[in-house]
Amino acid sequence: MDLHVIFSSLLGLLFTPKLLGLMLLAIPLGIFFGCVPGLGGKLGIVLLIPFVYGMDPLPGAVFLLSMHAIVHTGGIVPSILFGVPTNGPEAPLLADGYPLVRNGQAGRALGAALSAAGIGGMIGVVCLALILPVVEPFVLSFSPIEFFWLAIIGITLISALAGKMLVQGLIVGCFGWLIGMIGLDPQTGVQRYTFNQLFLWDGFDVISGVLALYALPEMMQLGRGKGKREAGMPEIKPEVTKYTFAEVWDGVKENFRHWGLTITTAVMGTFIGMIPGLGGEAAGWMCYAFAVSRSKDPERFGKGAIEGVIAPSTGMNAKEGGGLLPTLFFGVPAGSGMAIMLGALIMLGIKPGPLMIVHDLPLVWSLIWAIAISNLLCTVLLLIVGKHMSSIAHIRANVLVPVVLVFALLGTYLAKDHWESLLVFAGMGAIGYVMRRNHWPRPCFIIGLVLGPTAELSFHKAFALHGLTFLVQPTSLVMMSIIAVTLFFNLRKTYRRKPGVAAAAHPKPTGGSI
Amino acid sequence: MSRIAMTIAAFLFASVPLAQAADSAEEFYKGKTITYVVSTAPGGGYDTYGRLVARYMNKYMPDSKIIIRNIPGAGHVVGANTIYAAKPDGLTIGTFNTGLIYLQLLKESGVRFDLAKMSWIGKAASDTRVLVVSKSSGVKTVQELLDSSKPPIKLFAAGVGSAGYIDTRLAISALHLNVQLIPGYNGSEGTMSMLRGETQGTIGSQSSYTQFVDDGNGVYIMEAGGPADSKIPQAGQFAKDDNARQLLKMIAAESDVARLTAGPPGIPADRLALLRSIFMKAMADPQLLADAKKMDAPIAPATGEHVQQVIAEALQQTPQNLQLLTQAVKAGQ
Repeated sequence: MDLHVIFSSLLGLLFTPKLLGLMLLAIPLGIFFGCVPGLGGKLGIVLLIPFVYGMDPLPGAVFLLSMHAIVHTGGIVPSILFGVPTNGPEAPLLADGYPLVRNGQAGRALGAALSAAGIGGMIGVVCLALILPVVEPFVLSFSPIEFFWLAIIGITLISALAGKMLVQGLIVGCFGWLIGMIGLDPQTGVQRYTFNQLFLWDGFDVISGVLALYALPEMMQLGRGKGKREAGMPEIKPEVTKYTFAEVWDGVKENFRHWGLTITTAVMGTFIGMIPGLGGEAAGWMCYAFAVSRSKDPERFGKGAIEGVIAPSTGMNAKEGGGLLPTLFFGVPAGSGMAIMLGALIMLGIKPGPLMIVHDLPLVWSLIWAIAISNLLCTVLLLIVGKHMSSIAHIRANVLVPVVLVFALLGTYLAKDHWESLLVFAGMGAIGYVMRRNHWPRPCFIIGLVLGPTAELSFHKAFALHGLTFLVQPTSLVMMSIIAVTLFFNLRKTYRRKPGVAAAAHPKPTGGSI
Repeated sequence: MSRIAMTIAAFLFASVPLAQAADSAEEFYKGKTITYVVSTAPGGGYDTYGRLVARYMNKYMPDSKIIIRNIPGAGHVVGANTIYAAKPDGLTIGTFNTGLIYLQLLKESGVRFDLAKMSWIGKAASDTRVLVVSKSSGVKTVQELLDSSKPPIKLFAAGVGSAGYIDTRLAISALHLNVQLIPGYNGSEGTMSMLRGETQGTIGSQSSYTQFVDDGNGVYIMEAGGPADSKIPQAGQFAKDDNARQLLKMIAAESDVARLTAGPPGIPADRLALLRSIFMKAMADPQLLADAKKMDAPIAPATGEHVQQVIAEALQQTPQNLQLLTQAVKAGQ
């Protein structure tokens, strides 16, 4: 690979005032779109397209990509401090981030999550650069058979996420899958559970599901609490959320203490991001479940385990780098956000396709560097500013609850533009509240909702292409053994552990359930 | 009075109300806000064309304001329903997929519009439906797909009931193509599956496969509708009877009328005439053409009258063809 091209692109970015200025402008915008619930990177690009209209390809693309790459980093702060996800991919952060805040470790949680996001973004870019020479065979090696099995592997992660509540986890997961079936049947076109309502034709919206399942129960709990919080849940006092840079730095160092996890989840995130149609929404949860399943004492998760914050943060930012790969070199967007990015790139005069590697290598490298630099800058910026943001964590409930609910409802409405979504929000929120009260594992719902339909559609396609023989192809056999082994170890780990061991090691469980 | 004078007088007399009408329509739109409904979420082709059309129509109606409203849902049905049910005052217009013709013919539940009655303002493009096959399939002509002694080749399509799926089913029924149809490929997954060699081709809109073919990954072997000077063989020439030709006409209608703009039934004639003329002026705007070229959005405009006629013809199918259409869709169920 031509080192000259690689580094001249970097120098070009850093020393061209226009490019650097655009990147510096993109970062606060990205943070804004990330931290307002329901806005997200997709809407961000759509709203910014008029401004890049007429720009040259390079500055326009650098601006949009820098903004899009850090949206999730922007979402970290409110997700962790409020316990309300700003968008689908950020949801796994709440599982352990919010309990950490209630435990008086807001600084450590934010430090760990923000730096993990930055590191994840950078590793994603490194993976992207490394895979550049073999991009074609890699992306093409995923057929419906692989999709089917990857989705099934994702679904079996329920066994890790649910822990001891395996039965409840399965019920919740199946419920999510069932909800995922709403809409037009992908194989026969028959309407399923649509009750003649047009808004149900397109299926159930993941963002409204996540917002309803987390925001409403959390806010209801906060609203009805008034001193009568759940057992073991300490009152958040202003001084609890005040923290020093030392604490933030301690959080940053957690990434290096758990370096194996950081790197593995970042690589996982990149690969999930690279495969079109696998559902980036699930990337964070898959990384989270991975962290749980490799942990020596999984009971800590959901109660404030720092690994539970690191894994999804690295995963969700790494997938952004991964997603760029099929978008740029195949013109095949990896997800809905990248689909809109693709349209914007074409509008700027960039022609995505395999030939970009030949003709536009400097541009490709500039884009790769832009993602890396904006990740780095955004993380540093938020680590510094985040200290002041922490004051929002102790806003009184009677102020916080209405504000968060307004944003959550807005996000739900914006996601599909159907007023009926608000009814769904209320219904799902009530279910979420019951689940939360009884500590049922809510992540299993999202896994079922996102991966269930992928599994179903891929099964149909694989069956149409190969008949049932696809189940005995080598890939399938390998995947089945992986699933059997993971299931075995996850279940064994859960059921062989003596109760009380983990609790003794961590005497301050906060009771916030995932 | 000479005959010439009489003619001139008659002409003048007749043109007075017309001029007045145009004036009053222009008067009506002054200071008003027009909502342009795009039946998809922001981003993507329909949104791009919708915004382009709205922006340049606004250029020729400087005293009005045209705003975009995205109303996605149920594969354009929600948007089309909204436009159809809007107050017919000429202040709500919009765009949706031409494939809704099929849903109307199939009397799908949820369809609350009648395309024949809508006020058609114009169309911005043609989007020829082509049969594209991958290079690795080895197929070079349609004849190879008519030979039933060979193993069938695999064509992919989007979900059952989608316009792309119905197009493919109709073409298979009309031409007795020896293919296996595999639905469920959404967005770009189909292109990937051709690159992977897992499927060999598809019937879809030409603009979606320009790059695939330009990169040398595939060839067009047949088209329905499209420009007269095209070098790709027309589907009609492989049809053996009138019924087959009639079925192919439905696909051709979709090819010829794309990126359309319409309003609810009953827009006052003077306002509709004004909107139509402004639409055509916008389409001829050199700046619009330059922008469209930059966005890879081909422009091939036609008047509202033309669109109305094509849609009306496509909707007039014999009961026999309707049955074929129903069968074509049901065959996948």
